[in-house]
Amino acid sequence: MRSLVLLLQLFLLAPLLASPAQAAEQPVVRVGTEGTYPPFSFHDSKTGQLTGYDVDVIKAIGQKAGWRLEFVETQWDAIFPALESKRLDVIANQVAITDARKAKYGLSATYTYSRGVVVRRKGDERIKSLADIKGKTTAQSSTSSWAKVARDAGANIEAVEGVTQAAALLAEGRVDAIVNDNIAILDYLSSTGSDKVEIVGTVDDKIGEQALAFRKDDPLLAQANQAITELKADGTLRGISERYFKADVSVPDGGDVSSQRGHRSIWAIVGETAWPMFLALLKVTIPLTALSFAIGLLLALFVALARISPVRALSGLARAFISIIRGTPLLLQLFIVFYGLPQIGLKFDSFTAATIAFSLNVAGYAAEVIRSAILAVPRGQFEAAATVGLSPAQAYRRIILPQAGRIAVPPLSNTLLSLVKDTSLGSVVLLTEMFRVSQLAAAESNEFLALYSFAGLYYWLICVGLSAIQKRTEARLSRYVIA
Amino acid sequence: MTRIEVTGLYKAFGLQQVLRGVDFEAAQGTCTALLGPSGSGKTTVLRSLNTLEIPDQGVVRIEDVSVDFTTMPSRKERDRLRAQSAMVFQAHNLFPHRTVLENIIEGPVIAQKRPREEAVADAKVLLEQVGISDKLDAYPAQLSGGQQQRVGIARALALKPRVVLFDEPTSALDPELVGEVLAVIRDLAGQGWTMVIVTHEVRFAQQVADQVLFLDGGVIVERGPSAQVIGDPQEARTRQFLARILDQV
Ligand SMILES: Nc1ncnc2c1ncn2[C@@H]1O[C@H](COP(=O)(O)OP(=O)(O)OP(=O)(O)O)[C@@H](O)[C@H]1O
Ligand SMILES: [Mg+2]
Repeated sequence: MRSLVLLLQLFLLAPLLASPAQAAEQPVVRVGTEGTYPPFSFHDSKTGQLTGYDVDVIKAIGQKAGWRLEFVETQWDAIFPALESKRLDVIANQVAITDARKAKYGLSATYTYSRGVVVRRKGDERIKSLADIKGKTTAQSSTSSWAKVARDAGANIEAVEGVTQAAALLAEGRVDAIVNDNIAILDYLSSTGSDKVEIVGTVDDKIGEQALAFRKDDPLLAQANQAITELKADGTLRGISERYFKADVSVPDGGDVSSQRGHRSIWAIVGETAWPMFLALLKVTIPLTALSFAIGLLLALFVALARISPVRALSGLARAFISIIRGTPLLLQLFIVFYGLPQIGLKFDSFTAATIAFSLNVAGYAAEVIRSAILAVPRGQFEAAATVGLSPAQAYRRIILPQAGRIAVPPLSNTLLSLVKDTSLGSVVLLTEMFRVSQLAAAESNEFLALYSFAGLYYWLICVGLSAIQKRTEARLSRYVIA
Repeated sequence: MTRIEVTGLYKAFGLQQVLRGVDFEAAQGTCTALLGPSGSGKTTVLRSLNTLEIPDQGVVRIEDVSVDFTTMPSRKERDRLRAQSAMVFQAHNLFPHRTVLENIIEGPVIAQKRPREEAVADAKVLLEQVGISDKLDAYPAQLSGGQQQRVGIARALALKPRVVLFDEPTSALDPELVGEVLAVIRDLAGQGWTMVIVTHEVRFAQQVADQVLFLDGGVIVERGPSAQVIGDPQEARTRQFLARILDQV
């Protein structure tokens, strides 16, 4: 799941990365950070802002030291070369202190301490320390160094994808323990509010330290160290840490204060997300649906008339359009409009692209509905209209289409209901509609079931509402069709 | 000048020759009844008069508008000829989404661009005349079959046409409703409307029509005053047809 989140964030970042960092007039400190590494450096799902523990720490340091910060989101692989080539002045991205790095870079005072910890199911008294996992099963990312620690301690290893999955297996009783970095565990506990697992002990007394990296001999380093000392003293660093981890990871022994964590229930998380989801519904999902449906219907009417037209070229064109729209996936249509058309110079923002794709899609389906509705109006109606002197255009507008409309309401309502739900595909063109908000919140909190169910509830309510409107419309339109 | 003049009407549907040289005339203020067996081409003749069907050959003249179908007439020509007549359909073809009043004023207001108040006033008079002045705001589906057909007649008359065409106006009705519709048509004849009516109501035709045309196989095989054609048919085919029809009753 983490990798999916990363992917989504990459999508979001693509435009940012593409735009060259602006050169500021006054000297600034350029901060290299990944932006895709929660909870240290990532984009807030609600605001889109770059945030995280490391981001907040460097901001606090910058404020103390009187720097103007400019964040440059850089992939990990490129981050040290960027520092060396002076495209960055400092890296704030959990740079672990090693001898090699000490020799090469100017590393600041430590602002994150981490260590290996043993995690057990809450209250499982069989496990109190690393020694107790001998002969037990632990859940580990198979590639991490913690797997080796656990194996060396005599545990059987259950390979997992990440902390979330490991914690789930542990909570369900399918494994007995986890050996991992305390920060990853604290992040998990803090973001999920889970009270099913707990940290019981440390692996050894080795402590990992993370610091800012500057170029060697950069005068900024001294300013940073000064600021870190002050921030530690005045409690700012501790405050930042507790915001993210519900514990103070800025001191060597703060990491296992795990019990006074506030518990965030599923309801709290859903409650927190409900409003942003509702706003996205009002601001994006509903306008997107309404606009696409209106434009789509108008297009559909013309396509249907073209399809019925005796002019061969016109009906052939309409037929081809309908066939293509109905014969290709909506997802692909979205991708073509958003990712494909820019290659021939047609670049649209997410909302416009989604509106175009959905409108065309609605047009393709509704055209067939409207066409068959028009053909379902008895011939005698055309003839009667003609004999009272109406022109063909007048006959269509005043006599045929109103009757076709009534016939078309039920199937068009289905098109509309599909459209409401299909707007969730807007997330793939980076549109922050309601479903995407729930996706991001779920990725952050791991409450997939609750948040997706809640998103489902919103969709369902809209569809129930629309169905009621449909019934009323049908009743109004059919008042004259009494058997 | 006679009001209607039809000369040398031919019409084929695919390979089937449906009209093979139909000629007739009708004077102003007369009622012409078209009789004939099913499939003989009665409806096709009637629809040729208002270009719902385009004949392959022949000339149709109504009053001062004459169209020669030997070459394909332009849309304008067809519209001009169509505007000379109004049609009452077998299945009434009222606009179901429009009230009775709206059905009637649709043509006058929208096509003929007459002032709405005037059209409404005329419509009320017409509805009174066909005996349903209390159903102005009803929808067609709320009316009986006989009432629907009478609204259909009012809708045709509202156009103030030179000729009113009827295609079996009572065939779709329950037997007990036929009388009320025929009574209205009888009145119209008395008021001097020029009418062409396709019907199987032989007795009615005998009483109301001034001339009867007996059509068979796409040609008029017998014609004359109604008393003569129905009362004393000369052609064997006419006699057979009438015997069959009258026996049924
Ligand atoms: N649009 C059409 N396409 C093909 N054939 C047609 C069409 N209209 C009429 N016909 C055929 O032309 C012939 C004459 O039809 P028409 O409707 O004029 O007969 P009719 O005398 O009115 O018969 P009825 O008493 O059954 O109404 C019939 O054989 C009919 O099947
Ligand atoms: Mg007929």
